Amino acid sequence: MKTKKDISESIRKVDSEEKISGRAPYTSDISIDGMLYAKTVRSPIARGTIKNIKLPKMPEGYHTVDASDIPKRNVVKMIYEDWPVFAEKDVNFIGEPIMLVVGPDKETVMNLADAVEIDFEEKDPVFDFKNSGVQLHFDKGDVDAAFERAAKTVEYEYETGYQEQAYIEPQGFVGYPEDGGYTLVGSIQCPYYVKNAVLDTMGEEEDKVRVIQAPVGGAFGGKEEFPSVTACQLAVALKKIQKPIKFIYEREEDMETTTKRHPSKTKMEAALDVDNNIIGIRSNLALDGGAYIGLSGVVLSRGMLAVTNAYTVDNLDVSGDVYITNTVPNGAFRGFGAPQMIFAIEMFIHHIAKDVGEDPFAFRKRHMVKQGDKTSTSGTFRDPIILSDMVDKAVEISDYHNKAKAYEDKDTFKGIGMSWFLHGCGFTGSGESDIIKAQVKLKKDDKDNVHILVAAVDMGQGPKTTFRKLVADLLDVPIEQVTFNYPDTRYVPDSGPTVASRTMMVVGGLLARAAKSLKEEWIAGEEQTITKQYKQPEYIEWDQDTMRGDAYPAYSWGVNVVEVEVSKVTYEVTVKNAWNIYDLGKAIDERIVLGQADGGQAQGIAYGYLEVMNHEQGKLKQKNMTDYIIPTSVDVPKMENHIMDNPYPLGPYGAKGVGELTLVGGAPAVALAIEQAIGRKVKKIPATPESIMELIDNG
Amino acid sequence: MVKHVIPKTYEEALDHLSEGTFKVLAGGTDLMVKNRSWSETPARFKQDILYIHNLEELRYIEDRGDYLAIGALTDYETLLRHEAVPQVLKDCMLEIAGPGIRKVGTLAGNIGNASPAADGVLTLYLLDAKLVIEQKGSAREALIDDVIVGPGKTTLSNEEIIKEIRLPKTRFTKTRFLKVGGRKADAISKVAFAGAVTIEDGVVKDLRMALGAINVTVVRLRDVEKRHIGETISAVQDNIVSIKNAYVPHIKPIDDQRSNRVYRKRVAFNMIEDFITTMHTQD
Amino acid sequence: MAKVTFTLNDETVTVDEPLNMRFLDILRKELGLTGSKEGCGEGECGACSVFMDGWLVNSCLLPLASVEGRDIMTIEGYRETKRYKVLENAFVEEGAVQCGICTPGMVMAAENLLNRNPSPSEEEIRIALAGNLCRCTGYEMIFKAVKRASKEGEGLW
Repeated sequence: MKTKKDISESIRKVDSEEKISGRAPYTSDISIDGMLYAKTVRSPIARGTIKNIKLPKMPEGYHTVDASDIPKRNVVKMIYEDWPVFAEKDVNFIGEPIMLVVGPDKETVMNLADAVEIDFEEKDPVFDFKNSGVQLHFDKGDVDAAFERAAKTVEYEYETGYQEQAYIEPQGFVGYPEDGGYTLVGSIQCPYYVKNAVLDTMGEEEDKVRVIQAPVGGAFGGKEEFPSVTACQLAVALKKIQKPIKFIYEREEDMETTTKRHPSKTKMEAALDVDNNIIGIRSNLALDGGAYIGLSGVVLSRGMLAVTNAYTVDNLDVSGDVYITNTVPNGAFRGFGAPQMIFAIEMFIHHIAKDVGEDPFAFRKRHMVKQGDKTSTSGTFRDPIILSDMVDKAVEISDYHNKAKAYEDKDTFKGIGMSWFLHGCGFTGSGESDIIKAQVKLKKDDKDNVHILVAAVDMGQGPKTTFRKLVADLLDVPIEQVTFNYPDTRYVPDSGPTVASRTMMVVGGLLARAAKSLKEEWIAGEEQTITKQYKQPEYIEWDQDTMRGDAYPAYSWGVNVVEVEVSKVTYEVTVKNAWNIYDLGKAIDERIVLGQADGGQAQGIAYGYLEVMNHEQGKLKQKNMTDYIIPTSVDVPKMENHIMDNPYPLGPYGAKGVGELTLVGGAPAVALAIEQAIGRKVKKIPATPESIMELIDNG
Repeated sequence: MVKHVIPKTYEEALDHLSEGTFKVLAGGTDLMVKNRSWSETPARFKQDILYIHNLEELRYIEDRGDYLAIGALTDYETLLRHEAVPQVLKDCMLEIAGPGIRKVGTLAGNIGNASPAADGVLTLYLLDAKLVIEQKGSAREALIDDVIVGPGKTTLSNEEIIKEIRLPKTRFTKTRFLKVGGRKADAISKVAFAGAVTIEDGVVKDLRMALGAINVTVVRLRDVEKRHIGETISAVQDNIVSIKNAYVPHIKPIDDQRSNRVYRKRVAFNMIEDFITTMHTQD
Repeated sequence: MAKVTFTLNDETVTVDEPLNMRFLDILRKELGLTGSKEGCGEGECGACSVFMDGWLVNSCLLPLASVEGRDIMTIEGYRETKRYKVLENAFVEEGAVQCGICTPGMVMAAENLLNRNPSPSEEEIRIALAGNLCRCTGYEMIFKAVKRASKEGEGLW
């Protein structure tokens, strides 16, 4: 009898060859005979009212498409419904879409779009945090009492900047009329978000809209909710024009007008007892939502929940606001609010330790969360937590203590920083059971080939491989016998969006259940279909109004250690090394997980020191790949990643979430290393050479 | 209608220039970005374009005894791989963008573009580069400092073209090219520095420093450099404050999307100081 | 419009298009070769990399005029070579491909390196790939893939 391979043992990814060879048909590679091109006419001002629009004379075959063409609702259906498909009367950010110009010749379309004259009555734009559009709050224990009996209190404020997803493939769709409805092929994370948004805007019957995922050239959250906006615009154009239309963003257009990671300000106040134990924290997380709220409330919520990160604090008062400003709307980005808060808490806990004269490492370890502790929302950490072992391992492989001691010598301008952190897997609270209600299907044909029917998108993170591997393994059939095509809403059920580190744990978990059922019911040579629906673990209790209970069914854990050197001449940071340890339950394919680890860390570290984006009066200053700096091959450190085995009982083979976990700890780790190298407290990221110079000058 | 012309020979290029008002496009790495249009539509040039990238006669590196002659269309990659090219220019070339740009970008294009942040130009200032500038029927030779007069501005007339770059042969005991970009490769300079020094028996025989992206053109103060030639290492180093002071009126950077003036200024002075204080040691 | 003739993947091609068209657009739109990708349109990301006379260039910065008389190879030509097969296998084995939009360009940059330096150090690999942006992988597995190709393709380069 042959021994079955461990599921973690890596296999060749199934879609690599078509991508390497340039054969994979990304959206912009698609060409349809008679296809037209769409270009967006945008607001040049941050806030105002449209007084008059003067169109150029449109040659035959050229069209404009605007709010007046929308059949049903001029709003893009997402979590919070305030984002219009096209600006109708008011414009609220620079670059806000007002209309499309559509036609066969791109140069003509461009010239027509440039010739549209719009008169505005300008209004004073708002950029400060003063219009709160969302307020959330939760508490734990009795924070007032904790502060009353506190021996001392410590207070800091932390700030983070924009981060742009900077996927290498810009946003895009190709759409065409089909069977009296519309089919949209695009670079998307969430086929059903797109479909449902289009149905809602168009007021169409369910079967009139078909959404197909093309190979996605990077997403990172940037293709979560934003594509719903362009899809609705395109659908309106398709209805009006009834011809195939290609709608691809240019790089600058993409950077200037699509969602990014929310800039944030976090207030932290801690109460300490006489033994320097943290007995209470008050915190407020403020996010810059941009002009429309969209998903920002959910981002805020995930951020707030991370307030105590991987520490246990008994008394909490946590509030948060999404501020509406006249800037491009912000939205989903890998980590989803957690990177902002985890930066704040990791720095804060170090700063408290330093202020009370304790060794930060010992101070943190004393507060580290243990199995059975209460979460920030008074839920329970039920599963075994091996974070302490992970920290030990990280210390050992990075030689952390010796380096930390050596770099206390300020003349070295070197530093080592360690973050540890958790990330909740899946949707927050009861989202999975109340909102998403994921469904998956396995269909076996009469040749006994098994087809995976889910709406999960492979955007590089590997489900095209791992889902097939998982199902084949459970069915005990060769992987070639299992197919998983790019999702097409005509055929696949709504297994939910490809977000929130839920793909393997939730969708993969359902597929595992389906595969087990299929195996039990297997009848060779017969067509069989198995459907599975998400069921929330019964012990999970969550009250959305008070934000109390188990916010997530499971948590993944990580430790990042980063070593840097700062130039005394230029204040530039060189990230020398990074060591990372992750507990994600069980890797369904080790190399794929390690690939997530490398990539997530590169983004997370760069968020902390490299990637700068800011606006001036609502206009983004870094609007292309020249000015918005992401790491190149010579910027990334030498990385060493380790994966722990700590299977989660309800995940497939014990798998939990991966994708976001690998990003959220990078920024504090690099910021802490920089803090040590320069001997100054870092309270703002990115810690650029400019800000490092300021810190050295002013403390 | 904008005209687009590919001359077959250098002679023909000079003829065109004498007759029309052309913008000369060499590698295109700058002009194609500046005039970019919507994808799949032609670049939006506002002026007639002369495409000279195929003029093989402008690609050469020749040792002419006391100077090195570099044909205007010699690309960065070729410079990087040629043994006679000064190390400091190679160090600079290696930091310009990535390989895909280095095979197309040219020094003449870098000069014609006249960006204050152009790293190649900075190094040419340091090396006392002379430019051979031709038009139909005549030629002139000029020091690079006298050709570049402001951001995007040169003294080249419409009829003229840069034909050749001449680098006087000089041996230095130490050179340095140091730039700060947003990242370690593939970035436009926030501040850049090129330095060269020749020290014999503890005496400074030659001292040069050029700074980029801190004024409308590269800053090189020959009179300040000359003042210290003939001094001992320690005499020069003891004078660091006065040396830096001499640069004060010339270091006038701006705030932009890449950095700010305070930082640029500070780092420029740090770079000067660091070079002076380490000029006698190897990096 | 003007006629421009060049060699493309070992065949002579003549196109009649504006000289100021980007060569990337000629490849993708006029010739239907979509393996070269547009990531940034300004020579930063390298997704549009092709070989011109055997050297890596960003096709988004090349006006059609510059291609006259040149020898061009795109990923569509390169993927038919033995060297490509070695690189492809190494990229798959090392997990160097995630979203894949940068990968054809990345493979071209790897060839550009190995062609001139068959046994590069990691430092040399990093420098050679610095003009090709990847947002997914953190590059680590790409470095490993190039090292593997260098080893497994011994004698080919």
